[in-house]
Order: sequence, then C-alpha cells, then structure tokens
Amino acid sequence: MIKNLWTRLFLEERPSISLSLFRIVIATAVGTYVLPTFFPLKDTYLSTAFKSYNPMFFPVWFLDWIQRSPDWLVWVMVFSFCVVWFFFLIGLFSRISCILTMLGCYYFYALNDFVLGTLTWDILLVTLFLVCVTGYHGDYFSVDALRRNDPDAYRRRRPFFIQRLLQIEIASIYFFTGLHKITVNGNWITGNPIYYLMNLPPEGVTKNFLIKDFMATHPALCYWAGLMIVATELSMPFLLFNRKTRMTGIYLGIVFHITLILTLDVPAIFFFLFPGMLFLFINPEHVLRWVEAKRSFNRQAPRHKLIFDGDCGFCRRSVRYLQIMDLYDTTDMIAYQDVPNLTELHPELSKEKAEKRVYLIEPDGDLSGGFFAFRRFCFLLPMMYPLIVLFFFPGSGVIGPRVYQWVAGHRSLLSFGKKTKQCSI
Amino acid sequence: MKNAKLRNICISVFVAAWLCVFFYESTRYFFLEPLARTVFHVKKLPIFKFLFPPAGWIMFFNVSPEEGEVVVYGIKNGQPYRLDPHEIYPVRFIGFDNIHRGIMGQVLDRRMRRPFCRYLKRKIPYFERFAVTYVYYPSVVKNRYQRREKVIYQCR
Repeated sequence: MIKNLWTRLFLEERPSISLSLFRIVIATAVGTYVLPTFFPLKDTYLSTAFKSYNPMFFPVWFLDWIQRSPDWLVWVMVFSFCVVWFFFLIGLFSRISCILTMLGCYYFYALNDFVLGTLTWDILLVTLFLVCVTGYHGDYFSVDALRRNDPDAYRRRRPFFIQRLLQIEIASIYFFTGLHKITVNGNWITGNPIYYLMNLPPEGVTKNFLIKDFMATHPALCYWAGLMIVATELSMPFLLFNRKTRMTGIYLGIVFHITLILTLDVPAIFFFLFPGMLFLFINPEHVLRWVEAKRSFNRQAPRHKLIFDGDCGFCRRSVRYLQIMDLYDTTDMIAYQDVPNLTELHPELSKEKAEKRVYLIEPDGDLSGGFFAFRRFCFLLPMMYPLIVLFFFPGSGVIGPRVYQWVAGHRSLLSFGKKTKQCSI
Repeated sequence: MKNAKLRNICISVFVAAWLCVFFYESTRYFFLEPLARTVFHVKKLPIFKFLFPPAGWIMFFNVSPEEGEVVVYGIKNGQPYRLDPHEIYPVRFIGFDNIHRGIMGQVLDRRMRRPFCRYLKRKIPYFERFAVTYVYYPSVVKNRYQRREKVIYQCR
C-alpha cells in the first residue's frame, strides 16, 4: 500500500505541460527581481557599491571568494546572466540555461545581499533549485520543443516528482508561515500585528491603500483579520491537497497574494511566483484533457488555412514549427503546390501570390499575407502570444513587412543548402 | 524496464533526501534547536547552507508596535539636511520599494560604517559630512508621534 502511494505521489508519469508553463513563470519572477538590480550597476554590484553579506546563507569562504570579483568580471557576469536568463525564459537549452541562471542568482546574492536578500528570494532559490533538477520544464512552450521537432511535445509524459515536490514546498511554506505566527516568537494571538502595521509611519512597509486609515482605527477588526490570515495559512495544505477543496485553496491563495501586494511593500515575486506555484496543483492530466477537447472541437469547426511554398526547405521547416506551436490545432497547413486551383480556397489567391509569401485564410474568409499573416497567427498559437507585443508595436506595420520581404527574398540562403527551384526566386 | 527501475530508485532517493532536508530546515531554528538544547544539550544543529533561509519560513511572524528607521543627514556648512533614502540607494524593484522593506537598517551595524561612509561620499559628494541616525518609535499605536532619535555614527 505504501509502495502504491509512493508511486502515485512521485513516480507516476504525467504530462509535463504544467511544468513547462511554470518555467516561464519562474523565469519571469527571476527576471523581474534580478534585472532591475543591474541599474545602476555601480550602486549595486561594482566595487563602488555599498554591500552587505549573508554568512547565514553562504559559508564565509564562499563569500570571500565571490568578493574577490573584479569589476570586469561583474560586467561579464551581468551580460552572461542576461543571456542565460533569456534562454531559460524562452526554453533554449532549457536545462543548462536553468542551472546557469541559478548559479548567476547565487553569484549576485553572494556579491551583495543588500540588494537581493529577502525571504522571498530564498523561496525563489529553493524553487529554482527544484526546477533545475530535471529538464522536463523544457518539454513544451520552449524553443527546445521546436528543436526536437516533436508535434506531440505538449502531451509528453514525465515522472511527476518535481511538480509534487513544488506542491509540497508551497503548501509547507504557507503552513510554517502560519505556524511561526502563533508559536515560538510569533505574536499573532498575543498581539495585534495588522493593527501595528496599519499604524506604521509612512516610511514603513504598509502601502497607502484605500481602507488603511479605517483599519488603523479598528483594532478588533485588525485582530480578527490577523486570525483569518493565520487560519488561511494553516489550512492551505489541507485545502490544496484535498481534491474537493483544491480550487477553493487556489482561489484563496490568489486573493491572498493580490491583497498582500496591494497593501504591503513586499517583493513582486509574491505576485509572480506564488500564484504560479498554486496552479501546479491543477492536475496536468486535466490540463491535457482540456487541450485535447479543444483540439477535437477545433478539428470539427471551420479551420484556418495557411498557404505556403512546399518546395522551400526553410518554409517547410517554419511550418513544422508552427504545427508544433499550434497547441489547439486550429490551422491546416497547405502547400500551394498541392492545390490545383488556389481560387477555390480564396478568390483573391493565385499561384504567383502564393509563391511570394505565406497566406492565412481565416474561417470567415479574411485573407492576410506575409507579415500580416503572422500577426494574425500570434492570436492562434499560445507559444506566439509573447510576440503579440512585438508584432503590434508602433511602427511594426511599416518595418514588419519589409523584414518579412527580406526574409522571403533570402529564404534560399536560410534553407541551409536545401535549395530548390522555387526557393531560388 | 531495468532503466525505469533505476530511474525510480534515483527519484525515490532524491525525493526522500529532499523532504528530510526541507522539513528539517523548515523547523530547525525555532523548533528542533530548542528541543535539541533541552534534550541533548546541543547548542546548535547543523545548517544546510546555500538553499534555505536560516530561520525557516517566518514572513511577518512577529510584528511589534515598536518601529524604527534609519535617517541619514547630509551636513554642509554646519547645516544638516535630511536625505531621502531613495536618493542614497536608488534601486527600485518592480512592484515594491526596497527602502520601505527596511533594508537601510543594515547600515546601523558599526561594521558597516566604513563602507557606508565611503559609499555616501561617492554618491552624494555635495555634503561635507554625514550623520547616520536611528529614529525609534516606542509604540506606533499608543503614541504614534513619540519618537527618539540617536546618532549612531558620523562620516567625516
């Protein structure tokens, strides 16, 4: 029985799609925390900065070693960190970029605790460590998924233990946070911490939110609010691990963190990381079932059609990538050579036009070509959502078609030797 | 099958080790160490460095009505000017203000005097000297306007 439970908890294989999405969450959390500390560098990490160290977290020999970094090395580390962090975010060489990102975090933390050191930063490091243990986070929503050229990447199954450990981590953090508030040196029963927080001088950690003054004059309300917070934190593991109350736990956690970020000057990772970790409690089997249901629905519904040059290696490869990215299976990819009469697909389409650029025919008959086809495509493929900002950036409507024209004109060069007659136009 | 078995053993060992270390570090400082002191007369238990916060997960676990803040004065021609801590340390993080989190408290440590003075002189060369003071509010609820200010050190 124990063996069965252990297998179900940690060894069972489940889709890794949730963990892949979580990679983006944690990369965003790391980025929003570390990258702003690079401005201005002379005040944060260079020899001119004011620094403090954390000998409780790092051994002294390690701190001494890191402190010997000359300024040029700090610059190199900053540049390297930006590169590996970006790779981690987009899922390029996911595993190694994750490990290097984590090492970068350690480096800057040891270099100056004054800038980074908070309890939430420690939580971020623990989480990042767990994510780095396997490369499962690069299975989908990643450039690695495209490189592997696996159209079924989204349904890849992996041992569930990392996601389970992340679940245990967040549930335990809630629980122990609550426990510390009412035991040992905690004063959430004997004192009235919320009331004190509401009355802090403006330099304190409390933000100036709408009902702050009201709460500052109602100690009883503050006391009960404090007890509610403790009760919420203590009950989180039970809410989250119980199937029937799981969604309540997730919603409660999200509301809790939104309230926290609106009322206190706490690190933004509270907002990025914790809700992301709460979503890890959603069974990836259910996520996959939802995706499959959407795919099945879209297969019956009127479909988008992408018309491309089937004789061009670069175009074929790009279309394969688009197919992998087409999580909801919304689009038929059609080589124009396979259609004898293109006007049957759309009255404005011709062979000459299709040779020059890709075309997207939408179910309602709208036709867009080249850059604008890709712009429409951004809304169809979840992996292309981040590009919406880029494709709709002011001026992109002018620059984008030119860039597309240049790429289309040089696609024979981009085919890496797979030159064909059509590619050489 | 053999590989799957080996993989499962590796995962099981990792999971067991991780859970032990995780819960040990979550409870070490406030629960296990007092217990070890009483039962085994051991002062300190070993720490797993590099991963866990030294005192466990203690967010806002003890908020007292006492409050304090660091105030730095720049002095020019004998005249003190209160400096905005954001001017001293201008790092703004996305979504929160590090200064409000009380990071300036670290400069009160006398060992920080020399590096902090050097930093102030480089950062704000306009002033001839600086005074680092600690403002203490004995109770923000009983008498929120009562404050005591004490010079901790000066930078000449």
